[in-house]
Amino acid sequence: MMLRGYRSGDHGLLNGPWPPGELLGLPLAEWPALAEPASVRPPTDDSEELCVVPGAGFVRYAEIDWVHRRARVEIGLRPGHTEALDLLMKSVTTHGFLGLNLHRLHGWVTPAANPATGALESAGFRREASVPGNTWFDGRPVEREIWAVVRDA
Amino acid sequence: MPEIQLLRASAAASGLRGAKAEGRGFLGVDPVTQNDALLARELTRQGAQVYRAGDTLVGYAPNHEQPRQAFLASTSADPEPIRAVLAFLSTYQRCTSFVAMVPAGAEAAKAFAGCGFEQTGVLRDHRYQSGGYQDVLVLAKGEVPCPS
Repeated sequence: MMLRGYRSGDHGLLNGPWPPGELLGLPLAEWPALAEPASVRPPTDDSEELCVVPGAGFVRYAEIDWVHRRARVEIGLRPGHTEALDLLMKSVTTHGFLGLNLHRLHGWVTPAANPATGALESAGFRREASVPGNTWFDGRPVEREIWAVVRDA
Repeated sequence: MPEIQLLRASAAASGLRGAKAEGRGFLGVDPVTQNDALLARELTRQGAQVYRAGDTLVGYAPNHEQPRQAFLASTSADPEPIRAVLAFLSTYQRCTSFVAMVPAGAEAAKAFAGCGFEQTGVLRDHRYQSGGYQDVLVLAKGEVPCPS
């Protein structure tokens, strides 16, 4: 699972059936047929870094803060490409810490969407906080958690 | 409590600058590392509203993914201005849950505790200030029934 920079030809990878802004967005089995897929926009300035896994999905470092050296990570994987998650998460932290030289990566995890927390934990992410009613999912406001990994000194 | 008044983004930016250390981390902005124009732009981008009550600034930013939730911030330990904003948001914006992200050690944590917020987690090393990384507390006040 190698990451490379976004090109306009990768536009089709930027949307899919996962909760918007999810740290590790995997395709949901019961996505309502009438619902628009979650999508991200191509980058317009240097406040974000958009990478793609060719043919499989995207990794977005959003809200990059160069003072606090942190970014919010969003990942979206197209259906049929959800194997080798551990390898992908390792690439995500390596690029964030060594490529972008950030200190902290964090993101939103929706427990109601059965997230793959094992892959997050193996990459060093830890659950830090829970925010009740933070997003709308399956017809009601649901709790969302903040997971993060901090670079070792 | 002194009268509470709504500030425009530029007035909010200069007010935060005047709040000294307590203005740092207010809705995620920082008057020490950002100039007034950037503060105003960031508050506008979030759709934030900032109010002044005496020496205290309080503000909120809507959660765009769940419009019944708002993120709150304050610059003092006085809970009264926050109560006023909570009452406004429940009545006029139909908000049912509230979140505050407060830098560890900031006075505002006491104000939110006085308004019924509970700590639901700590964001490790979320801010860089005074030569080191500092934690941020996540405080939440969940599921207030909608009044209408």
